[in-house]
Amino acid sequence: MFFRMIRGTLLRQWKKMLMIAFTIALGASLAAAMLSVMFDVGDKVNQELKTYGANITVVPKSASVLNELYEVEGGQNTGAYLREDELGKIKTIFWAFNIVDYAPFVTVNSTLDDGSEVKVIGSWFNHHMELPTGEQLDAGIAGLRSWWEIESGDWLDEQSHNQEDSAMIGTALAKKLNLSVGNTLHVKGSDGEKNFKIIGIFDAGGEEDDQIFAPLNAVQDLAALDGCIDSIEVSALTTPDNELAEKAAKDPSSLTVSQYEIWYCTAYASSICYQIQEVITDSVASPVRQVADSEGAIMEKTQLLMILITILSMIGAALGICNLVTASVMERSSEIGLMKAIGAQNGAISGLVLTEIFITAVFGGIIGFFAGFGFAQIIGHTVFGSAISMKPVVIPIVAILVILVTLAGSIPAIRMLLRLRPAEVLHGGH
Amino acid sequence: MKKRQMYFRMIIASLMRRRSRMLVALLSIAIGATVLSGLVTIYYDVPRQMGAQFRNYGANMIFTAADQKFTLEDVRQGTALIKADQLVGVTPYRYENVRIHESPVVAAATDMTSVQATSPYWHIEGEYPSSDGQILVGAGLAESFNLKSGELLEVSYTPAEMASGDETIQDNILEFEITGILDTGGSEEDYLYISLSDMESLTGDAGDIDIAELSISASSDELSDYADMISNTVSSVNARLVKRVTASETTVLTKLQALVLLVTVVVLALTMICVATTMTAVVTERRKEIGLRKAIGASDSSIIKEFLGESMMLGGLGGILGSVLGFIFAQQVSIHVFSSSISFMPALVPVTILVSVLVTGLSSLMPIRSATEVDPALVLKGE
Repeated sequence: MFFRMIRGTLLRQWKKMLMIAFTIALGASLAAAMLSVMFDVGDKVNQELKTYGANITVVPKSASVLNELYEVEGGQNTGAYLREDELGKIKTIFWAFNIVDYAPFVTVNSTLDDGSEVKVIGSWFNHHMELPTGEQLDAGIAGLRSWWEIESGDWLDEQSHNQEDSAMIGTALAKKLNLSVGNTLHVKGSDGEKNFKIIGIFDAGGEEDDQIFAPLNAVQDLAALDGCIDSIEVSALTTPDNELAEKAAKDPSSLTVSQYEIWYCTAYASSICYQIQEVITDSVASPVRQVADSEGAIMEKTQLLMILITILSMIGAALGICNLVTASVMERSSEIGLMKAIGAQNGAISGLVLTEIFITAVFGGIIGFFAGFGFAQIIGHTVFGSAISMKPVVIPIVAILVILVTLAGSIPAIRMLLRLRPAEVLHGGH
Repeated sequence: MKKRQMYFRMIIASLMRRRSRMLVALLSIAIGATVLSGLVTIYYDVPRQMGAQFRNYGANMIFTAADQKFTLEDVRQGTALIKADQLVGVTPYRYENVRIHESPVVAAATDMTSVQATSPYWHIEGEYPSSDGQILVGAGLAESFNLKSGELLEVSYTPAEMASGDETIQDNILEFEITGILDTGGSEEDYLYISLSDMESLTGDAGDIDIAELSISASSDELSDYADMISNTVSSVNARLVKRVTASETTVLTKLQALVLLVTVVVLALTMICVATTMTAVVTERRKEIGLRKAIGASDSSIIKEFLGESMMLGGLGGILGSVLGFIFAQQVSIHVFSSSISFMPALVPVTILVSVLVTGLSSLMPIRSATEVDPALVLKGE
């Protein structure tokens, strides 16, 4: 009988019930969309902030000491180097997945035909790698120097056949030497010389405008530096630093075992640096403060902003649902009055009304959840050009929100109606 | 006149009599209006506030000498062209080769207060120098020479005349107290930092500036306008943009703005539909009343007018309430997220009220019309 009555209501009053379901779906979709976006916005903004370039630099351990004490007078750098064959190991650390881009650098001071000194920098441009994990990565300065404007020509592709001895040069240097794309530039290093074919001219808006960028191996040949690199720039997705990270950055051994584990397994800039040092022999990895700190600040602000907007829209959704549920229960005063008049118990009436509303709420909530996830995808694709990942925690939050709000909207209304005297209600008096 | 008085009396009486239900409707309209005014205020304020956050990345414009050297006076002339409220900081730098422990190093002379505005990302272990005779040492140098803050450091400078072979001139030597070790993860770690006046006493000449860093919170178009204007007006200065900072800022800021815009649109659309359904429910509930009125001879248009008046009055009230609450919300967000207050946008108040009146009006119009179209007898019978 109970179920027949419920089915009866749902079928007979389907228009009203549909309206409730619709409003609940709206509220649930709003909550689901905002929660999904909120939980993912940190990752997305982090990804965007990668346009600022590397946030970690790796240099040989003894570089600074040697340079300062023995080499500045001599002028030529023959000290410590990192090993090129270890570069791949960076993608094997614990937080390998967070490393989005990296590039090695080797700098050789060379002379041009007119006798002027110029810095030739060897690096990766668009270095395609197939990782043992099956992942593919295009690493190099095409990603790490996203602000470079290519004035003419194109990015160098060191892995294509005829570009091993090609180079990209800065706009200031090109102007000075009156070079354009397609020309050849003769460069003499300490242990070799090369003719670089100019593939592209870039405007970096800094000192790089006076430099030559060429493939790593070509530049190593200029100074007989086979397999040697000066530094590595790494662009990694990091979590903003907190007290623990700051303490660990100073001295990881000062942490307790559990603190150490939390730190090591969180993507702080300092723990990623530490892990890079573990795989690259004799290296010092340090966060680039200018990039790392600003990233942290901007990410925190964006996340906080989204949290507050989410709270506002959840309150809006909650009150919207609450209002409509209350209004729709109140509307049924005469029906409830009639039930009471023919002898129904208060409990039975409450159970009946609540079950009806709950069935509607579940129905609306499920539709709303998927609709909301759709809205989140629209936001993700329009703004960031990538999908918003589904966080499982959104489901229980939306479910609890819908249940609580429906209860909060219907119980006071039901209690109020039960207090009324059936005769008055049926008579229609207020 | 009498008729209009009666009209308002009816509307107000109806609102007062059905107080609890009208409160429910009013609440829902007010929430809609709050979301509207709050989010729009945030949307307009986010670029400004976020722009300020992006100044963490440091200088976005640099002055270099157009031909040889330029002075502090030129820097002052250049910065005078920039609106004062956009200028976050200006820091002049003068680089000289000096020697510590007989090794050559580069010393930079700068203004220690403004450097904190243009390079907020500098990490100092210790303190910034606060008076003359104090020095900041880069972490790289500190490690090489085993220097610690609190220690004294002798810095010597060889005047140009001596380098040219005149043996009668001695090195200038000054003793500094190390107040802090600078950690940036960049090339700054290999420099010494002292004040401009100390550099003067060390080198013995007033000297010129090598470079000036400026941090300006402005869009990249505005920045390049400034750069052109300064380069043209102050002949000794060449103003350039730090492309890495300006280009990336434009990219990221555009994305963030688009994010807030889309979120605003989605939230607004859903909230407005929510308000509309609530209003529809509130009006539908009163079909009986409409039927009764029709039965005692009221014309359709008078019923529509009365109900519309009622809901639009609710809409107006809700709009006013929402404008106030929305501003409070935006203010709280701004204080908590950006720790700065938000400017009140007066134009938003009429817009909010208008939108809430329109939404409530339109959403109640439909059920009223359908109620008036039905035969009063059927409505009263409850079918």
